[in-house]
Amino acid sequence: MSQKNRIGVFLCHCGGNISDYVNLEEIEEKLSENEEICSIKHHENLCSLEGRNIIKDQILRENLDRVVISACSKITHGATFEKYIKPLNPYLYEMPNVREQCSWVTNDTGKATKKALSLINSAIESVKYNEPLKKIPTTVKDSVLVIGAGISGITTANSLAKQGMKVTLIEKRPAVGGAMIQVGKVFTPDKMSEDCAACLLNPVIDEMVHNENITLLTNTVLERSTRNSGNFDVILRKKPEYVNPEKCTSCGNCTHACPTFAPDEWNEGLNSRKAIYKPFPQAVPSTYTLDDEACIKCGACINVCPTNAIHLDAIDEIISLTVGSVVIATGHQRFDTSKRPEYGHSFYEDVVSQMQLARLMGVNGPTDGHLQVPSTGKVPRRVVMIQCVGSRDQMPDAHKYCSKVCCMVALKNANLIHSHYPDTEVIICYTDIRTPGVYEKYYKYVQDNGIQLIRGRPGEITREDDHMLVRIEDTITHTKQEIPTDLVVLSAALESSEGTIDAAKTLGVPLTEDKFVKEKHPKMQPVSTDIEGIFVCGTAQGPKDITDSIIQANTAATKISELVNGGLEVEPFIATINVKKCVLCGTCIDNCRYQALTMNKHSVRVGPIACTGCGDCIITCPEEAISIQGQSDEKLEASIAGLLKDKPDDEQIIIAFLDDIGNVSANNMGINRVACPSSIRIINVPFINRVKYRHIKYALTHGADGVFLGEYPDTPKHNDIRENVKVMKKHLEEDGINPERLLIHSVFIPYFRGLANQFKEFDEELQVLSK
Amino acid sequence: MTKLNRREMAEKTEKDLAHKVLDDIKAPKDLGLLRCVQCGLCTSVCPASRHSEYDAREIIKRVLDNDETIIEDEVIWNCFYCYTCHSVCPVGNSVCHVNQILREMAIQKDVGKKQIESFMSFADSYLEEGLGVIPQEYQGQLKIDYGKHWENLQENLQEVREDLGLDSMYLLPEAKETVDKTLEAIGFKKRVQEIKDVRNRK
Repeated sequence: MSQKNRIGVFLCHCGGNISDYVNLEEIEEKLSENEEICSIKHHENLCSLEGRNIIKDQILRENLDRVVISACSKITHGATFEKYIKPLNPYLYEMPNVREQCSWVTNDTGKATKKALSLINSAIESVKYNEPLKKIPTTVKDSVLVIGAGISGITTANSLAKQGMKVTLIEKRPAVGGAMIQVGKVFTPDKMSEDCAACLLNPVIDEMVHNENITLLTNTVLERSTRNSGNFDVILRKKPEYVNPEKCTSCGNCTHACPTFAPDEWNEGLNSRKAIYKPFPQAVPSTYTLDDEACIKCGACINVCPTNAIHLDAIDEIISLTVGSVVIATGHQRFDTSKRPEYGHSFYEDVVSQMQLARLMGVNGPTDGHLQVPSTGKVPRRVVMIQCVGSRDQMPDAHKYCSKVCCMVALKNANLIHSHYPDTEVIICYTDIRTPGVYEKYYKYVQDNGIQLIRGRPGEITREDDHMLVRIEDTITHTKQEIPTDLVVLSAALESSEGTIDAAKTLGVPLTEDKFVKEKHPKMQPVSTDIEGIFVCGTAQGPKDITDSIIQANTAATKISELVNGGLEVEPFIATINVKKCVLCGTCIDNCRYQALTMNKHSVRVGPIACTGCGDCIITCPEEAISIQGQSDEKLEASIAGLLKDKPDDEQIIIAFLDDIGNVSANNMGINRVACPSSIRIINVPFINRVKYRHIKYALTHGADGVFLGEYPDTPKHNDIRENVKVMKKHLEEDGINPERLLIHSVFIPYFRGLANQFKEFDEELQVLSK
Repeated sequence: MTKLNRREMAEKTEKDLAHKVLDDIKAPKDLGLLRCVQCGLCTSVCPASRHSEYDAREIIKRVLDNDETIIEDEVIWNCFYCYTCHSVCPVGNSVCHVNQILREMAIQKDVGKKQIESFMSFADSYLEEGLGVIPQEYQGQLKIDYGKHWENLQENLQEVREDLGLDSMYLLPEAKETVDKTLEAIGFKKRVQEIKDVRNRK
């Protein structure tokens, strides 16, 4: 800073909130010694319109190029003063928080005045490094990739397309509809009935098929994705199109001719299908498809195809797209019940899963909708359903969570059996019945229909003569029972699908411990992921029913619409790369968990939406080529220097670097008038990682007695930050500085009393240390 | 008429039975006792529950209900440690572990000592020879269970061992002395004596 600045300082009384505790005359006197300060003004309430005139008048009259406004917190009036300093650039001011973090927390006027002066000096030193910046206007490409064409993916695609966005909807399987189309019947709690799932889903599918903004690609998976300046460059792989959909008339000759069989996925393996087949009669797209793993390439199908639509030498297609957003709607799969061998699903024919039962009852199923015991072909005399198979189970390979829908699924299928086969007895063995909200009414309705419920978890199923035997304790009547039955139905847990795990891996989105896609915040941001621009909905995010999936799917579409249509302006505090220093090593790109950095020919580019300004890249860069705009290392050092300016030897000063959460917590201390040692001088940093060792060392060698780091721990970087502090403590030791002068503590917004106590304890410890 | 159990709000002064079990040295660190939701899976697979009054789930219920009378209840001696309940429990509880702890509590009292007195001949052979030999009184039943082959083996054990090139199964004097000292030091002898005292008293 060679050329002299022209700085104006404005001291707000805040109607006595500040001036009653801080001697502003004394401060003015001290500041007037600084020749870079060209103007010092007081006012009762600087945030008033009168205050605005004073500030504006001084800027113009004194030709000020920087402004310091000593008042309240930036959160309260930052936006106000940003406007008041016009015609100066809105980033050329600083606001030392003399109210919440000084006058309201310090009882002694002398101490409060000293502290206020040091906060103002810090702002004066730091404002010199402020740069004129602009908010960054950004645009997000209005094209979206939706992965998975079940009810969630189709719903999102429809909503986005109706809002004018271009959607590419990909589906790994040959037909759309996911689990909902397969399940056959869904229950309707208000009507107390079971309705046709396909009838509800088909209009939604039709809408998708006919919307010109949607391109549907079946047999297609996401192969690769790279972030490119806010967009995603994706590579899709579509399986070879052995049957040309343009030519195929769905006559079915090929299937008749095909000599090869494979298990029929549509019917959950209850029967077989041919290697060339149509997944199910109502499949969309309505084309035949070829299973190239089962096909023996005999050519029988080619010979009988009247339209010459089959090409066995077709190759897969690689599709490259650039999209602005991605939605993960990859759904779930059902728990592999062979992991619970005591239930014998893999070796007893008459033990089936709920989905298999649904297929057995489905009119387009293997028995044309007639419920039959697999081993005998007869209508079962009794059906026993077992709940929580693989759910609420902490055994290895099972899932601790409740799968949320199985109680409703069992009640629905039980009632369905009851209404079609009134002579068939149905027993549901449960641990707890979970039918929240109006679903409880359906539960009561099913009970009224005579479905029996036994409160107990069976541990063993065996075969006895021509039927199965379930052993259970009825824990309510305290009776040990053996229940002979023709059919056993297992309510298998919902778990994250392979497709979900693959998509998350390819996109670099973290998974939860249960392997579902992790939301940005499970409560507050349930469809966003850690990567800006990637969203999740439906069972890819966790077990949920159709209604909840649809709600989430629409929410994801809304969130994308916000990005695309909101005319987004982001704060300029993002990483910038010094191209002269950068050696294009890519370390920062690999380390950025927000995928904000990308390699662009001969430079590293920063995506302004994705970058959070966390400053992690600054630490990882071996060339020190990265800085955060408007928050340079020098500026941070100047803030420290300002705090320590003219510090008398007998005064103890602790520099407290607080992240945004910590800063709000400290403000709450002020609002609640909780006393805080006057030695505490707060510097707000966006993330604790922003504070480098050089800053800590600078502080401790230039008069600070201690450095306090206040970190909100619920961030993905928490462990790294704690590790880094350990490393910095080692450096301090090597540099001959007592490492106990550096302290890191967790901060939480409501925990301001705790923060005040930590400050007090650290203050006392340091007093002992310095003796 | 069952008595109404009133749960007063006063602070708990004594540890309840469930926590006594959890704090026992024998309890695995992650024992899921407090997570039990009484689903009854354990009972449905438990052979002892199937063939006797024992009910695995009920054992846990009574522990969670702080029903200390369970310690004196003969039913806890029906479990034979097959660990099936342990291997299937969805919340990581283990009835057989809990049972072992309850039995240990019972052994601290006369009622448990009586239950294990029939094992004392095992203890005696251990004290006398430092060996876990099957006591004479069990031989009859084993002959019935395992038949001629087993009987032959017992009668000709010495020769069989010689054929196989094995040394005598009896310990050397110094080894015996070490075992003896160990049994003394760990309180085994004292415990055996206490159990025998209960027998002799009646």
